[in-house]
Amino acid sequence: MGSFRREKDEEEDGPTNAYQNLEKTSVLQETRTFNETPVNARKCIHILTKILYLINQGEQLVAREATDCFFAMTKLFQSKDIVLRRMVYLGIKELSSIAEDVIIVTSSLTKDMTGKEDLYRAAAIRALCSITDPTMLQAVERYMKQCIVDKNAAVSCAALVSSLRLASTAGDVVKRWANEAQEAMNSDNIMVQYHALGLLYHIRKSDRLAVSKLVNKLTRGSLKSPYAVCMLIRIACKLIEEEDLPAEELSDSPLYTFIETCLRHKSEMVIYEAAHAIVNIKNTNPRMLSPAFSILQLFCGSPKATLRFAAVRTLNKVAMTHPAAVTTCNLDLEGLITDSNRSVATLAITTLLKTGAESSVERLMKQISTFVAEISDEFKVVVVQAICALCAKYPRKHTVLMNFLSGMLREEGGLEYKTSIVDTIITIIEENADAKESGLSHLCEFIEDCEHVSLAVRILHLLGKEGPFAATPSKYIRFIYNRVILESPIVRAAAVTALAQFGASCPALLANILVLLGRCQMDPDDEVRDRATYYLTILNTAKPELYKNYIIERENCSLALLEKALSDHLNGDLQTHFDISVVPKAAIVKHEISNDIMMVTSAPRAPKITREEESAARLAQLPGIQVLGPIHRSTAPIQLTESETEYTVQCIKHIFAQHVVFQFDCLNTLSEQFLENVRVELTLPEGYTTRAIIPCPKLAYNELQTTFVIVEFPPDPSSSIATFGATLRFVVKDCDPVTGEPDSDEGYDDEYMLEDLEITVADQIQKIKKNNFQVAWDAADSEEWLQAEDTFVLSAVNNLQDAVNTIIKILGLGAANLSEKVPEGTHLHTVHCSGTFRGGVEVLVRAKLALSEGVTLNLTVRSTDQDVAELITAAIG
Amino acid sequence: MLALINRILDWFKGIFWKEEMELTLVGLQFSGKTTFVNVIASGQFAEDMIPTVGFNMRKITNGNVTIKVWDIGGQPRFRSMWERYCRGVNAIVYMVDAADLDKLEASRNELHSLLDKPQLNGIPVLVLGNKRDLPGALDETGLIERMNLSSIQDREICCYSISCKEKDNIDITLQWLIQHSKSQSR
Repeated sequence: MGSFRREKDEEEDGPTNAYQNLEKTSVLQETRTFNETPVNARKCIHILTKILYLINQGEQLVAREATDCFFAMTKLFQSKDIVLRRMVYLGIKELSSIAEDVIIVTSSLTKDMTGKEDLYRAAAIRALCSITDPTMLQAVERYMKQCIVDKNAAVSCAALVSSLRLASTAGDVVKRWANEAQEAMNSDNIMVQYHALGLLYHIRKSDRLAVSKLVNKLTRGSLKSPYAVCMLIRIACKLIEEEDLPAEELSDSPLYTFIETCLRHKSEMVIYEAAHAIVNIKNTNPRMLSPAFSILQLFCGSPKATLRFAAVRTLNKVAMTHPAAVTTCNLDLEGLITDSNRSVATLAITTLLKTGAESSVERLMKQISTFVAEISDEFKVVVVQAICALCAKYPRKHTVLMNFLSGMLREEGGLEYKTSIVDTIITIIEENADAKESGLSHLCEFIEDCEHVSLAVRILHLLGKEGPFAATPSKYIRFIYNRVILESPIVRAAAVTALAQFGASCPALLANILVLLGRCQMDPDDEVRDRATYYLTILNTAKPELYKNYIIERENCSLALLEKALSDHLNGDLQTHFDISVVPKAAIVKHEISNDIMMVTSAPRAPKITREEESAARLAQLPGIQVLGPIHRSTAPIQLTESETEYTVQCIKHIFAQHVVFQFDCLNTLSEQFLENVRVELTLPEGYTTRAIIPCPKLAYNELQTTFVIVEFPPDPSSSIATFGATLRFVVKDCDPVTGEPDSDEGYDDEYMLEDLEITVADQIQKIKKNNFQVAWDAADSEEWLQAEDTFVLSAVNNLQDAVNTIIKILGLGAANLSEKVPEGTHLHTVHCSGTFRGGVEVLVRAKLALSEGVTLNLTVRSTDQDVAELITAAIG
Repeated sequence: MLALINRILDWFKGIFWKEEMELTLVGLQFSGKTTFVNVIASGQFAEDMIPTVGFNMRKITNGNVTIKVWDIGGQPRFRSMWERYCRGVNAIVYMVDAADLDKLEASRNELHSLLDKPQLNGIPVLVLGNKRDLPGALDETGLIERMNLSSIQDREICCYSISCKEKDNIDITLQWLIQHSKSQSR
């Protein structure tokens, strides 16, 4: 079906792209034509076009191919054909990063850039800068300076922009061109002035004083170019942000006054930029905001679509920070809902959703549904995200919103769009217990006709997790078993797993599930059969603790660390059994609902790396670290210094079974000092022993380097809670701030006091969220588990939610079954949480809370280790 | 009258027998390659030259012959690229600073390693000993000996001693080049 459709599309396309079916090798063969004499310009242009097309389509040239092609291309410099020469420039730019010896064209390009032919000059400058490395720059510096101040605007712009690009690799050389850039600022051409300001700002960026001088001068003078004025507004904003003045002082500051006068500029672009700047400044008061918002309001009614879009987009972005001010524009925004430009309409409606009152939700949803079919997927996602935010804000409206979402699910749409809807529904289910049943049934309906395997699998997993605890679990079975009959192997396997969850958690359904699983054993796919057999065997044992360990609570080890632990095990003596419990659990990826729902990011999400995986890679470089075994947990970094001191140090604690590795990231902020032999000295509390100190040999200005201290825990866990004094010790050598080279070989010892460090209970516990806490708790009522119990009165907190948050924070445990959320208006609450203490000791905690005068807490801890259980009860007191 | 007919005849010849040749000019840095191109192109000699970074491409018309010259930089980092520009040309001109005796050995090694490239088999070579106006400059025989030119047997090779400054022997060099525009067709 898919291929059939594609064929049809091709026929409809009409004239096909002449460059469509190019082959790299044959095109590279054709470059031989470049060596022929006389040069056939037409033919060569055609071949160059093909090469550029291929590169832009993502074809990879290896260095040898690129170099051959590049050198063949240099032969074309003999032709005087203007179009061909410009194509050669483009080719040089594309190949400059792949081919070798590209500096061969330096001389030819310098000739073109200083020559008489104006058509060559700008392009030659850009090509030259792309082939020039910092070492070669000296040779062309003179020409660049001339070109920056050239009378020809195109040449001057090209030189300025190329300088800006070079500044990232050869900042020092480009710095010397400031005078020329200053001169270019006086140009009458608007683009030259703009680029000159850009370069000048880049050169002076690191010097705050120079920047504010520049801005002060320019705000008084008159820049002709509206682009330059926009740029100046942005620079001014940055300065304002750094100064961080309170609103009263800010409104009188010259920078702010400048931005405000720009609101009355004659160019619309500048007016918008100024308004946009003002609404995004942090410390503002309503009096300062109102002129900016009236500008945006005015733009909302503009006949130009770009202005309307700009205004409504800005309003959308600041809807969360200045809701009151945005509400004043509500009338104009409602007018835009019916805008012929769908992007404007979508933004208007999502802005209204953000600021709207609970009462207007229904009306707005009705309005969206009239046009949601007409907008692109991208904006549909924006709408869905707005709805998601709305759900978080008005949980009581979930029926309206849920119905709307399920309607959207039924419509046509791409994977990304469907994923965002499913994400939203799942978020609603997790946040709001009332919405769970209806949400699950909407999802059930959706998987009946769902073409996206990844979504079906996710929903089946969710059904397996949540379904058994719904009011009538049996109604989900039919939906799930339908998948076993109808879908692809991947979905069938997921469905089998979901069925087994029901069997394990609902004894009433067990008999039926066993029959269904029995049928799945006939499945044509291996994985499905394997899973069915596996679950069937476990369910037939009728042992709840097996259910718990092998069906309900599957261990989610961090795969990267599991791999490392296994390879360590294989390299070991293989005398001991592999213990999976020492591998840290994968972090549960928490989905953040960002307020910034306007920005549709098309960039792929960075793969989520847990702190443990990151630090494992880092620690692996330390000598002898393997002795400590696999890493248990890494804490979040803590600052040990104020943020603006001579040296800043932050510490990450890596907890191992018997050791803790302190990682100190040190930054030297003094440009005239060069530090050597930097290490941290710890004052150890009783019981702790230092195993190793790994100093950092050299710490130059503005460099982040790391030093480590490895300390062994005391044998008794109860004395592991302790405070460490810390001092940074090092040898100081004075150095030249420019080169960073030490003036002499002699240095002197110095030290710097750091803030104290602590090891807490939470540091030593890796949280685990149990899906079914009760099963685990009951199974832990056996011989090998030990229990500790205590009752406390928490006087510092006065409501249950705060108490729960405090407990979870102190113990560092993961709460199960959403028990960390206290329903409103109750006086009693029970929190279930669990985790693993270092060394693989499992910990289960049940905390019963009652609200009276303060909060009374009854804490029951079950653990396989008595000391650990006592340590945890002691931590609360 | 006869002279006039002859000139018209030459002009016609120029249209129909227009010759084109391509040659590559290499040699160590500061031996006078770019200066030589300037001298044969426009007759101008300048003392203060900047080193060629990469290559210069010049077209020179002399009578009915158009000479395309690839003048490649002589600094060490460009030497590996000489070969690419020597492939398929009518002649290779190798410039030597005849007055700088210290660099002769380096120059000889570069020449021989260039001519060892199989791609350049059979291409005629003209070795020019420049700066003969300076005291202590080698003459042709000295150059042939020190450059070990007699060992090159597989191709046509010739050696002149010239001076770009005094414009000495430039004419015979040009003559040699023009002859080779016809002798070898690609």
